[in-house]
Amino acid sequence: MTVSDKGSPPDVHVSVSDAGQFIHHHTEFPTTWLSQFMDGVISAIGKSASWLWVVVTGVIIYAVVGRYAFGAGSVTLEEVQWHLAGAGWLLGLGYTLVTDDHVRVDVIHERLSLKGQAWIELLGLLLLLLPFLGLAVYEMIPYAFSSWEQGETSQAPAGLPYRWILKSILAVSFILLILAALSRLLKVTALLFGFPKPIRIESGDNKKEDAS
Amino acid sequence: MELETLFVIGMFLTFGALLMTGFPVAWVLGGTAVIWTVVGVIAVENFGANLWFDYSSSMGLVPERIWKVVNSETLVALPMFIFMGIMLDQSGVAERLMNSMVKLFGAVRGGYAVTVIVIGVLLAATTGIIGASVVLLGMLSLPVMMENKYDKGFAVGTACATGTLGILIPPSIMLVLMADRLAVPEASVGDLFMGAFFPGLMLGAMYVTYAMVRPLLQPHMAPVPEGTEKVTWRIVWEVAKAVVPTAALILGVLGSIFAGIATPTEASGVGALGALILALMAGRLNMKVLNSSMQQTTRTAAFIFAIFLGATAFSVVLRGLGGDQVIEDALLGLPFGPYGIVLAILFGVFLLGFFLDWVEITLIILPLVAPVVQQLGFDLVWFTILFAMCLQTSFLTPPVGFALFYIKGVAPPEINVTDIYRGVIPFIIIQLVGLAIVFVVPEIATWLPSVAYD
Repeated sequence: MTVSDKGSPPDVHVSVSDAGQFIHHHTEFPTTWLSQFMDGVISAIGKSASWLWVVVTGVIIYAVVGRYAFGAGSVTLEEVQWHLAGAGWLLGLGYTLVTDDHVRVDVIHERLSLKGQAWIELLGLLLLLLPFLGLAVYEMIPYAFSSWEQGETSQAPAGLPYRWILKSILAVSFILLILAALSRLLKVTALLFGFPKPIRIESGDNKKEDAS
Repeated sequence: MELETLFVIGMFLTFGALLMTGFPVAWVLGGTAVIWTVVGVIAVENFGANLWFDYSSSMGLVPERIWKVVNSETLVALPMFIFMGIMLDQSGVAERLMNSMVKLFGAVRGGYAVTVIVIGVLLAATTGIIGASVVLLGMLSLPVMMENKYDKGFAVGTACATGTLGILIPPSIMLVLMADRLAVPEASVGDLFMGAFFPGLMLGAMYVTYAMVRPLLQPHMAPVPEGTEKVTWRIVWEVAKAVVPTAALILGVLGSIFAGIATPTEASGVGALGALILALMAGRLNMKVLNSSMQQTTRTAAFIFAIFLGATAFSVVLRGLGGDQVIEDALLGLPFGPYGIVLAILFGVFLLGFFLDWVEITLIILPLVAPVVQQLGFDLVWFTILFAMCLQTSFLTPPVGFALFYIKGVAPPEINVTDIYRGVIPFIIIQLVGLAIVFVVPEIATWLPSVAYD
């Protein structure tokens, strides 16, 4: 390249977010009205929870400034940080399932036909994911409930009360995951068996509409 | 063969086989845990198997174990570093570095390759996810290098290898995860960041040396572009404008951790704010960008934590079946002596890296082997850095290294697979030399943590 004729390398706008399309191979299944509705709710929750990252950043800055200005580390603020960050990724789990961003080993997968991928998805959802989630939720609900019943608080002197709130979010996030998995299951059965009736082929990459 | 051994092998085989179906890794792990819980319970209750296994001490522990993942102050740093990386990326710093440094190094033989390496090292923070960094560097640099008639293998090898450095060079989210799993005070996040600092820089320096020396010996590898602009103060100033704020942010984050001024979590929050400010100053920050960056953070953090959940279930069942003991006995039973055992583990990690990403390997394998290594009397920081370097080498190794697939996805069509294989081989040799150096001279990894705080 002669710099004189171009000035600078082509003005490319390259960013890691573009990288997604090369890394994840999203399988697109036809959606159904019920799946669309469930996906919408789950994504809305996940997107709202994403604001927590800015909040966590703020809390950390506040804690750091507080520590240096007033010389006092705050256990309370530390606990606020992991409560908020925990809620952030927990509520994002289902949303990530909706956008199909959970990593796969797709060496073989991407060479299969859409039908083949759908069968894998069907069996995987029924035999691997849903049993795991079912068992986890079955254990987590009593776990959260007993925390509430006992009025569990942080063991640290200045820690937060109401441990049951985050433990309930843990259970809720797994319930959202189950809903997301069921929604995906419906899409797979719509493709394989025509039930429930597919409404349209999903257009393009989920992520693009997420960017808005 | 004892029943425990059989079960452990069965569990890993189930995992491996199901993984190949392409169902998400996290759920394969969770599903395998459920399957083997059922097998274990049936074996004990219906067949009276001589196995100390029950539901409540395996799968029944899952909520508590998952709660421990939520209830972690250190792990807050993980989404925060991801957020910082994404914001830094959104600030467009990679392009500005490329555009300005190309002018600075353009007239030097091999200059573009050096530019790629410097950018890769500097922006390691934006690229904790292996695929992302390889793709970014590939898209950014390959067109320029092709245009300047660089040797295809040389160009693509440089971009590919540099992309894998990002998982090693701190602030690396892989090291945050490793520290969490090791869960020992002598290998905290800060210790691992410090431990990886010099090995990471050493590899970077070795890459740069290669990128400068090889074209000297074989000028056709990297022709000097004709009619390049003279390096003026204006160009230097442009480079400085791109480099200094970014470098200051990264060094500030690392420095405050190394000096013991801030915990890694505090540093990650400050780093995220810094990246937001850089994006704002670059005029790239608006609601749309902020929104999509936060959502991307959620999706990235969620996929890592999802594997965390699956791996937690997998590990708790594996342990219930006596897996920890089986692995420990198997490793200690190797007839190689302590250093031989470490080498055997590293070789195993190298092979696993062909099939699994660093997230799974860190979550499942590291906690199994680290206690054995510690028992043999080795420094865990040293071992973990070797572990990390080994993974990184693995991702680069043909024919199945992850980085090779990613770079193929973004390489111009005239670059074929043979070029990629040919191009990465020198870097694999560099990696192996680097690994050997750190293996023989542990101080490269252990010196900085030993002189720092505490």
